Amino acid sequence: MESVLRYLLRWPSVEYFMSHYAWAWPLAEVVHFFGIVLLVGIVAVFDLRVLGVLKGLPLAPLQRLIPWAIFGFALAATSGLMFVTGIGANLYGVHPYDVAMTDTWLQLKLLFMFLAGMNALAFYFTGVSRTVDALGPDDDAPPRAKLIAGASLSLWLLVVYFGRLIPWGLQYTYGGQ
Amino acid sequence: MDFLNWIQNLGLVTWVREAPTVLAYPTVLAVHTFGLIFLVGPSLAIDLRIFGFAPRLPLAPMEKFFPIMWIGFWVNALSGVVLWALNPITFLATPVFWIKLVAIGLGVWNMRMLKRRVFGNPANLGARPVLTEGKILAGTSLAYWTVAIYAGRTSAYLPFVQRQTALALIILITVAMLLARFVPLGALGLSRPSEPVPHSK
Repeated sequence: MESVLRYLLRWPSVEYFMSHYAWAWPLAEVVHFFGIVLLVGIVAVFDLRVLGVLKGLPLAPLQRLIPWAIFGFALAATSGLMFVTGIGANLYGVHPYDVAMTDTWLQLKLLFMFLAGMNALAFYFTGVSRTVDALGPDDDAPPRAKLIAGASLSLWLLVVYFGRLIPWGLQYTYGGQ
Repeated sequence: MDFLNWIQNLGLVTWVREAPTVLAYPTVLAVHTFGLIFLVGPSLAIDLRIFGFAPRLPLAPMEKFFPIMWIGFWVNALSGVVLWALNPITFLATPVFWIKLVAIGLGVWNMRMLKRRVFGNPANLGARPVLTEGKILAGTSLAYWTVAIYAGRTSAYLPFVQRQTALALIILITVAMLLARFVPLGALGLSRPSEPVPHSK
């Protein structure tokens, strides 16, 4: 299993690209940030409306902005995968598998991303999203919807927090030790 | 200079910079990111709506986003001062730091213009599609925040890397906007109707 993951996680092409062009890693960081702002920003606005903090917005049209949040997620995921598969460009000699196995913050981030994803699935596949769609501008959302919205907001903010801490969880440094 | 050194050596500032706990410097950075999300996120939502995406979303109630954006701004102003204080002289001597401050200043000014010209003007609010003035403000808003995010993120890099990254970012955005003409955005849910949506209620 370890050898399979070791093989899959390290992408020499990405490593070469990121180490050969000085702008590659910083550009990925900027794209990652922009994706985060799109994703968490739009999701936060939606969640705050469902929670009742922001009133006056009908929910069905607000949901039309969610595809942009998903686009933000795609930007963040792509740049994020570049960081993982190309970590050897930034930390010479370090293997992504070793980072993934030893960096607690990275593990927590991935865990909470998974939970946020499950939360989103629960929202769409248990019918809660349909009840929310029917809400007018000032209507109160049902308790179940508020629970999911509160969880969504908290989970995504925690993902951002743990993500920011990743460099401080690295057990390996430049040079592979 | 002495004043700046004094700031740098303050107890709180030294603790943030040197304490061996994630609750210090890394957490201040994370708080700065949260503020950024609550400032730029709703702003992007407003800009998207002004450009015509999600057209059935009434523009007027989006004015409620402004308090959230102001909270995000002040959280960032406060955390930003703390982060700056960790190394005041170096930051003041770094050109990209000034670019960031100017971009944020312009972004905030732009926010106020949006509030006044688009949300404060019934003629603009009722117009479908939003009048050109609104679209220009939405566009500059996007530009200012993008520059601010770029400048903040590349702060730690050497100037030649910052310059290369700036050019790469410009090229990336240009290519993305060109490609957007050829990608079936409708299938991805990212399209907008070209005709004004008639008032339904």
